[in-house]
Amino acid sequence: MAIDRAHLGFALPPFTVEVTAARIALFLKAIGAEDGPQDIAPPTFMKAVEGEQNSSRRILETLGVDLRRVLHAEQQFDYLGPIRAGDSLVVQRTVTDLYDKKNGAMDFIVIESTVAHAERGLLGRSRQVVLVRNPVPKS
Amino acid sequence: MNLDTANPGDLVAEYQTGPIPREQLALYAEASGDSNPLHLETTFAQKAGFDDVIVHGMLGMALLGQLVSTQFAAFTLTKFDARFVAVLPVNQSLRCTAKLVSHTANGLTLDLEAFDGDGKSIIVGNAVLARP
Repeated sequence: MAIDRAHLGFALPPFTVEVTAARIALFLKAIGAEDGPQDIAPPTFMKAVEGEQNSSRRILETLGVDLRRVLHAEQQFDYLGPIRAGDSLVVQRTVTDLYDKKNGAMDFIVIESTVAHAERGLLGRSRQVVLVRNPVPKS
Repeated sequence: MNLDTANPGDLVAEYQTGPIPREQLALYAEASGDSNPLHLETTFAQKAGFDDVIVHGMLGMALLGQLVSTQFAAFTLTKFDARFVAVLPVNQSLRCTAKLVSHTANGLTLDLEAFDGDGKSIIVGNAVLARP
């Protein structure tokens, strides 16, 4: 089922994420990087920040997407400054593109996010492409 | 690896992970907030058309990111992109590689790729690093 193009531009209300040292430590452990620096978040931690408050699932549910059909197709990060333990960050997430391929067998959802700090400004941008594998109609 | 003598296309860093067990997927789900059952529940993964749970694409990207941040710690990562070209089933390992694209006074550009145990491409990406 094609995603309603009316969802283009859908944005979650901005939300705040408190980055604790424990949160970074848990992430480092999960990626097998306990031995690295603990005070600065590793590069892909931004995804965990933007994913807070179940935000990815809330976006997909708003778009009416079945989670079983979802795969992460692409991910891009731009880094403007480090994310550190103790940071209070504001996340904004917006659906910036919707398109399909293979006669609707695959839907693509582009979600762009920003992560900003009150004093240090924009720390990063993220662009995620979600692939939805639609059931092929029987003819 | 001496970057000053490396040519474009040269392999400049690589890292072989061990098998990625479902316990690590559970830990990554907790740490990242990505609790999609595709990575946690075998029956859900099977309904989605896979033999078993699959590794989070973002966990694979994180492992590529570790290769970059540990091997090129003198640089500042400014851009990091990945395409998830195939899924990695649980209990498989990843070989993470970085090839030099360019090395200038301003920094470094790398092509990144992660392969499963059979050499099949799982993630293709690139990284741009600035000289501090």
